[in-house]
Amino acid sequence: MDHTDNIIECRNLTHYYGNRKIYENLSFNVPQGRILGLLGKNGAGKTTTINILSGYLKPHSGECLMFGQNINTMSNEMRRRIGLLIEGHVQYQFMTIQQIEKFYSAFYPEQWRRDAYYELMNMLKVAPGQKISRMSCGQRSQVALGLILAQNPELLILDDFSLGLDPGYRRLFVEYLRDYAKSENKTVFLTSHIVQDMERLIDDCIVMDYGYIMTQQSVKSLTDTFKKFTCTVPEGYSAPNKIEGLYHPFVIRNTFEAFSFLNQDKVEEILKATGVPYSNITSEKLTLEDAFIGLTGMY
Amino acid sequence: MKYFSKFFLYFIILFIAIWIIPWCYAFIHTDRSYPGLTLYSPISKNFLMVRVGESDLYRMWMSMDGKIYTREESDSLLPFFFVRQLISDGRFPDSVCGTPVNVQLVSSTNFTFYKSAYDINQNSPALYPLMESQSKRVDLEMPSDVFRITDSGIEFIEMESKDINTSKSDLFTSVLNKKGFKYPATYVNGNPTTRKDYDEGYLMLDADHKLFHMKQMVGRPYVRAVETPDSLNLELAFLTEFKSHKTLGFICDDRGNLFVLDNDYQLKQVKIGPYDPHSDQLVIYGNLLDWTVIVRKDDKHYIYAVNADDYSLITKDSIDVEDNSVFGLHFTSPKDKYVYPRF
Amino acid sequence: MIYYKEWIKTRWYLLLMFLATNGFAGYSILRLFRASELKGIAHIWEMALTRDSVFIEIPLQYIPIIACAGLALVQFIPEMHNKCLKLTLHLPYSPVKLLYSMIKFGLLACVAVEIVNIAVLLLGIIPLFAHEIYWRIILTSLPWFLAGIASYLLTSWVVLEPTWPRRIFNIVLSSLILRVYYLSSYPESYNSFLIYLSIFTLLLGSLSWLSVQRFKEGKQ
Repeated sequence: MDHTDNIIECRNLTHYYGNRKIYENLSFNVPQGRILGLLGKNGAGKTTTINILSGYLKPHSGECLMFGQNINTMSNEMRRRIGLLIEGHVQYQFMTIQQIEKFYSAFYPEQWRRDAYYELMNMLKVAPGQKISRMSCGQRSQVALGLILAQNPELLILDDFSLGLDPGYRRLFVEYLRDYAKSENKTVFLTSHIVQDMERLIDDCIVMDYGYIMTQQSVKSLTDTFKKFTCTVPEGYSAPNKIEGLYHPFVIRNTFEAFSFLNQDKVEEILKATGVPYSNITSEKLTLEDAFIGLTGMY
Repeated sequence: MKYFSKFFLYFIILFIAIWIIPWCYAFIHTDRSYPGLTLYSPISKNFLMVRVGESDLYRMWMSMDGKIYTREESDSLLPFFFVRQLISDGRFPDSVCGTPVNVQLVSSTNFTFYKSAYDINQNSPALYPLMESQSKRVDLEMPSDVFRITDSGIEFIEMESKDINTSKSDLFTSVLNKKGFKYPATYVNGNPTTRKDYDEGYLMLDADHKLFHMKQMVGRPYVRAVETPDSLNLELAFLTEFKSHKTLGFICDDRGNLFVLDNDYQLKQVKIGPYDPHSDQLVIYGNLLDWTVIVRKDDKHYIYAVNADDYSLITKDSIDVEDNSVFGLHFTSPKDKYVYPRF
Repeated sequence: MIYYKEWIKTRWYLLLMFLATNGFAGYSILRLFRASELKGIAHIWEMALTRDSVFIEIPLQYIPIIACAGLALVQFIPEMHNKCLKLTLHLPYSPVKLLYSMIKFGLLACVAVEIVNIAVLLLGIIPLFAHEIYWRIILTSLPWFLAGIASYLLTSWVVLEPTWPRRIFNIVLSSLILRVYYLSSYPESYNSFLIYLSIFTLLLGSLSWLSVQRFKEGKQ
């Protein structure tokens, strides 16, 4: 892929909180027009990455480019092209639906799409003079989304968009966002702690474990290639903790389970080479959530 | 911007530190020894100083060379100071150093005068109430107006209405003009209080630093221009209004000289060392025969005994003062009523 | 447009601040009028001339620092709530300019309210006194009004600071700085220092940028 097609390029990001290392030499790109989800367990560094990307954390070392510019010197023009949804759909609580639209529109005179905002607001069934502080979290999420849609940025950065939303609002949010991003060819970088929601929304995913990126690929290729292998082993057999090529080998009574990107033939080869006394091997296609658990483990 | 903000923050921290740390130090170390009351004894012809004993209640007097006196001895050595004690003991003498004395004479000639730089260095409103000096009443009364000296005359303002009493103002201005007063005034001093025995109005220094005495007698202006040598550049004048009527005021020039203005308008120099009213404290304990004049400077207290008639020097001494002022930033000073940073 | 947001946040407080500070100014004038009726105006003048009284120090001395600190709280606590400041700083506008537009709004509001306070005081005392006395009263009160400005700027610095240990440090330092405005109860003692104190006071505004800088660096 030509690197000019990358909206975000991060190279060798390293960050510490005090002496605690969050990650070292993290590199990834986000191509134009894709919806990319950052998946990781709590504490893997998702929020750290979002904070660095949105300019509210200075990485210990490494650099990030957005639209080809270093984000350390984030220009007004760059911020104009980025829509930011901060954790919890936070918006100015002291404003009403109308006031907040009036306020933001003044900062984006060329690009502001008032209709996109009010289209979403009309679905909310709240009075235009209602203060945001008196809305439910779901309603607030629609206000925050509406403002981003009205801003009409090229890149959307969303921090944990599912936080505090009930399933209905989550679905509404996901569908509205995906429809918008795809029809307008927008680039989206997001995190969520509910992987289930992501499957409907994202094109690509980055799976982070503590301190490094396990994989970055499209959701389709991940769910196509990453499989769960199940086979029968004699009772009392205990699997080795680590087997090259397999993720999280695990034995429950006489069933052996492991995850792998390899095809069944390769997996069998590995099992033989490791001396696993297996039989009746089957493979199983996974959902994104299962694949995520397969990659990162349950603990 | 960031560098400026940081620099400014460090500047403030430094600023506060060199202000607060010495302040805390001084707050903890308050055990400053300060010389006690010192008086000249006309009997023993030397200075006697109070020494505070073990307990604050017990004070004893000693000479500068360390000789300690009993209470009875010190009463007799300082007959003008302990006059009530001596009377109650029946020990009050008929004469002191050959001068016949009585209680009335002593109490009318005793005075204490205190002037500190702290009282002089201040921003005071330049409005002065001028009392009636020859009121028919026994007690003095505050007037209903105050005066200010402008660039061209004197104005009396009625406090109730805030109107300028033009006839009174014109009358006083014309008299001041006749006496050669040059406006504006550089210094005006009086004691605007009813708690004094009599009123002498004000001592004023005009634009040429010439000395004038102004008071109101039966509603009429009384102005006297005081003859002073041209070589003198007078700076401050303090109206005394002591019981004795013997002096009218103390006058300072710009060279550290102190003068007495006698009630016959003669300016006589008090033969003491330099006194700077803007930084020193001046204390005078006067009596019939002699004055003890103390000039308190930072490092030393200078003590003089002068003759009460011609202000000639009888004897002098000095006491070193432990200077335990801490170096640091200060905003206020015991020498003025201003606030500004200084070291 | 940033002023629009500040206006929505602070309008009710500004009304309260305007009414309360002028209420106190009016009250102190009223007290002075009552005292002059009871004891005679000459007595009041005498107190001013010989007893260094400026009459209004109670309660006006500490009103500006309380009122202006309140404005900073009303203005910046909502920004720090849920890190709303991120939204403000993400606006396509220089962060320095954004911050100082907000500060400018609050500063001008404080100055405007204080000017009205001083006008109310002057209106009250001009009929009572000669100019020597009423200017003395106003000059004496100027450090208190300056302290109000300082307390607005310092409170902004404290509230915008992202971490609590540093915030406590800022509070301690701020209290010491505010002490500088109350070092003498003697009238007109700040006269010669006022101009420098005003410059110093305005420079205190630069501290807020340090807090925002720390916020942007992700200090927590």
